[in-house]
Amino acid sequence: MYAKEMVKQSLPLIIFCGLGAIIAGSTLGLMKDLFLEIPGLIVVIPAIIAMRGNISTAFGSRLGSAYHLGIIDADNLWNEELKQNIIGSLFLSFFVAFIIGILAYITSILPPINVYPNPLKLISIVLISGILSGIILSFLTILIIYLVFKRGYDPDNITGPALATFGDIITMLSIFGSAILVEVLM
Amino acid sequence: MIYSWKKIVKTGLPLLTLTILIEIIAGQILQGKQESLLLFPIFLISIPVVNSVSGNIGSVLGARLASGLHVGYITLSLKDKEMHDNFFISLLIGFITYFLLAIIIYFIAVFGNLLTEDITLMNFIIIFLLTGVLLISIVALVSVITAFLSYKRGLDPDDMVSPIVTTIADVMGILFLFFIIGIFGVGI
Repeated sequence: MYAKEMVKQSLPLIIFCGLGAIIAGSTLGLMKDLFLEIPGLIVVIPAIIAMRGNISTAFGSRLGSAYHLGIIDADNLWNEELKQNIIGSLFLSFFVAFIIGILAYITSILPPINVYPNPLKLISIVLISGILSGIILSFLTILIIYLVFKRGYDPDNITGPALATFGDIITMLSIFGSAILVEVLM
Repeated sequence: MIYSWKKIVKTGLPLLTLTILIEIIAGQILQGKQESLLLFPIFLISIPVVNSVSGNIGSVLGARLASGLHVGYITLSLKDKEMHDNFFISLLIGFITYFLLAIIIYFIAVFGNLLTEDITLMNFIIIFLLTGVLLISIVALVSVITAFLSYKRGLDPDDMVSPIVTTIADVMGILFLFFIIGIFGVGI
């Protein structure tokens, strides 16, 4: 009965995360005209999603540890420790987004790919979507952590899958939005 | 104060840069197949789903193995019964999830008018399920190897498995999807 218990515990959450990924995938489907207009845009998508996932799950698990260490709780949430975490995550997003833009451009123009994106456009889209999704997800993380504290759950069990699922959707929507913005402005 | 933003950036940057390098390769494969993907948007929708399901199951498997190794009810042996159970249950969960999600994706594509070429439900389920089962088998294997090797070297598997497994799932997922589509000759 051990196996049955394991399936029962993780299957619903895995399916829920899969439904989130379908929303992210459908956003990708909606962007198909933009991929034709902006060469190189499709290259940055797996990297931005992975960056966001890594930075925000690490942020979530640090807040989980901080909770267990007694540094933050529901009544003492907005303190210096939390601010350092937010600033760190945003700086990391900025640096890594910049690296993604540069790498995507360089690997595109080299053989055997030989695609010539507009570097300014590509880097602007990556930077705007990286920072935008970083800000939204930082506040979402704090909200989730706050709700988890209030109800007395262990944040370690909740923040990882919740952030992975919402993170993918918010990141895809941020890329979609920034691509349209940059396409209109530049 | 135990956290400083400089320390967070310094510890995060190296592993993230490595991850990003590999993800850019995944992105270039997508760019190479871009024209076909735009003709078959149903596969464009499928890519994040294929990758994230295996990434999630692999991370859960890794976390379970890590706990087992830390507490001692899983031993560092390729014959460990508990590890085998965890491995095969991960494959079972993957199979059920991919089957259900294939049906949902197909109907989203039907209602969203995204089925520009004729792909039957049966066709799509077979392609999606084969890709998923192939991917989850490899990812679960990588998860076991990463958890065991990192534990053996005195590193915490909790820190190692998740980033490695999700990155590998992203690249292999895209490769396997195009491989299976190629076998069935849908036209990509």
